[in-house]
Amino acid sequence: MLTTPLPGADARARQRASRERWVGLAMVAPALAVAGVVVVGGIGMSVVQSVGLLPLVGEARFTLDAYVANGDELLTGLALSLGIATASTLLSSVIGLAAAVIITQGRITGRLVAGLSAVTIPVPHLVGAAAVGLLVADSGLLPRWFGVEPGAWPDLVGGPWWVAVVLEYTWKESAFIALVVAGVLATRVARYDETAALLGASRARRLRHIVIPLATPAVIVSAIIVFVYTFGSYEVAWLLGRPYPEPLPVLAFRLFNSITLTSRPEAAAVAVITTVVSLLAVAVGMALLRRTPLWR
Amino acid sequence: MAMMIPYGQRITPDDRTTTSRGLMRPRPGGRALRVAVATVLALWFALPLVPLLLWAVANRWSFPAPLPTAWGVDGLVTALEQGAAPAFGRSLLLGLAVAAIATPLGALAARALTRGIVPAPRLVSALLLAPLALPAFVAVMGLTVLLLRARVPATLAVLLLLVAAALPYTVYTMRVAYAAHDLAYEEEARTLGASRLAVLVRVHLPLVAPGLARAAFLAFLVGWSDYVVTVLVGGGSLVTLPLLVGSYAAGVGNEAIVAVLSLGAIVPPLVLLLALGRFGRRYPTARFTGPTPSRSPKGSP
Repeated sequence: MLTTPLPGADARARQRASRERWVGLAMVAPALAVAGVVVVGGIGMSVVQSVGLLPLVGEARFTLDAYVANGDELLTGLALSLGIATASTLLSSVIGLAAAVIITQGRITGRLVAGLSAVTIPVPHLVGAAAVGLLVADSGLLPRWFGVEPGAWPDLVGGPWWVAVVLEYTWKESAFIALVVAGVLATRVARYDETAALLGASRARRLRHIVIPLATPAVIVSAIIVFVYTFGSYEVAWLLGRPYPEPLPVLAFRLFNSITLTSRPEAAAVAVITTVVSLLAVAVGMALLRRTPLWR
Repeated sequence: MAMMIPYGQRITPDDRTTTSRGLMRPRPGGRALRVAVATVLALWFALPLVPLLLWAVANRWSFPAPLPTAWGVDGLVTALEQGAAPAFGRSLLLGLAVAAIATPLGALAARALTRGIVPAPRLVSALLLAPLALPAFVAVMGLTVLLLRARVPATLAVLLLLVAAALPYTVYTMRVAYAAHDLAYEEEARTLGASRLAVLVRVHLPLVAPGLARAAFLAFLVGWSDYVVTVLVGGGSLVTLPLLVGSYAAGVGNEAIVAVLSLGAIVPPLVLLLALGRFGRRYPTARFTGPTPSRSPKGSP
């Protein structure tokens, strides 16, 4: 019996491991290059432009003017974007979780909800915005069906509460959360649910103590994605919102396309602030995730 | 914690399992509640699509009427006159190009990451997921200066940015696929004398094909539905379907055209989704196998 390794086997193993690392590096390199250029380059160049180091014309000079120039609009835009993203995230999490529970209960109702939410997901957000507009505008389908005069219908599109914008985000993203959470519930929760039922737990108790705790990590992860997306998304707020005040992405867009020379750095400043808040939101979400007992 | 985006797969349990679970069988009260909630949810998901369907076949629909006052396909005719067909083609090409690039890149990275042969794996996966946390307009506004100075053509720049946006989906989907993938099959084939190429084509790729299809579908969606990147970088030179929808929806009185264009933007992904479902059934490994837990990659999703 030969138990001691041959002389040199150790060195060969080390050599092989180092070769494997090079292979691994080569395999991730193309994807890493693309993501790296876009993420690091995008954030880095936004910062550089926002502090005046890359002007379209004239001398490069470090200045924070771009952050101060639209101070008030920046603050109201920040508050507005935070409000829209928070409302959309909370609503779509609740609706998405409910839909996921219904979907995994199976039978005809579950399959119907699963099918309809699956249809919703590939709809582009801009198309969703157009559809929601045709549904809830004061000349839309709902006032027609309910027989409400345009004057009596609330300002859902372009109104002060941004209802149509939140509705569109909630519609699309609740389908996304439903599908992600249903995937987790179908693979991981079914057994525990059966065991608890066998041990005599009632339906309500199983929901409270099994289904919801086990679904929480998936809900948090998808809620992070939804929050960051709705916070930094342009087209829905542009189409269904009102001209003033503007959410951060709409403000950045207007400044970016403006013909004034100083507006490019100002747009970059808005972009930097949006990025910082997005990253903070991810950090908060990850911290929440670590506190759930099931996260490994 | 592994999460799948269960596209084209059945996630509702089988009838066989649900009817045999005596304990889980619904009682009348709970059943009524469930049906009520399910109905509300079904309405919630379906309702926004109804005005699109109605407007697409309405020639005239004056205000208080609950249904179109004159039916017809004027909207379709006008949309085609306004260049809907070439825009549709460009969107299709863009989506396919993004899928064709982002899927192999994501699969390569995911295979290396699941085999544990990548240095600094946490940093690498964080970077690959980072485009999800970065608003698209930030990347565009930062990079346009660079791309313009480097004289990168607008279409290529759009493609680069969209591939980056699609990578988190392809990498993650393929990580889930490779985590359930058994390398022993490939080793077995090699031992039996198959060449590396034969193993790749006849063992490796068929085994992960459902995952690849899912990843490609998600990447296609990124390119197909993009608006911000195309508008900001393309500057109107690359007119895709979402751009047409945007310009008509922003105006007044274009409801029929908007509805037709919107349906045109919804149908192709739905067809792909159905195809994906059939594909998943043909390859039984891709199916959700009910309550059996699957192996899953550790770390952040």
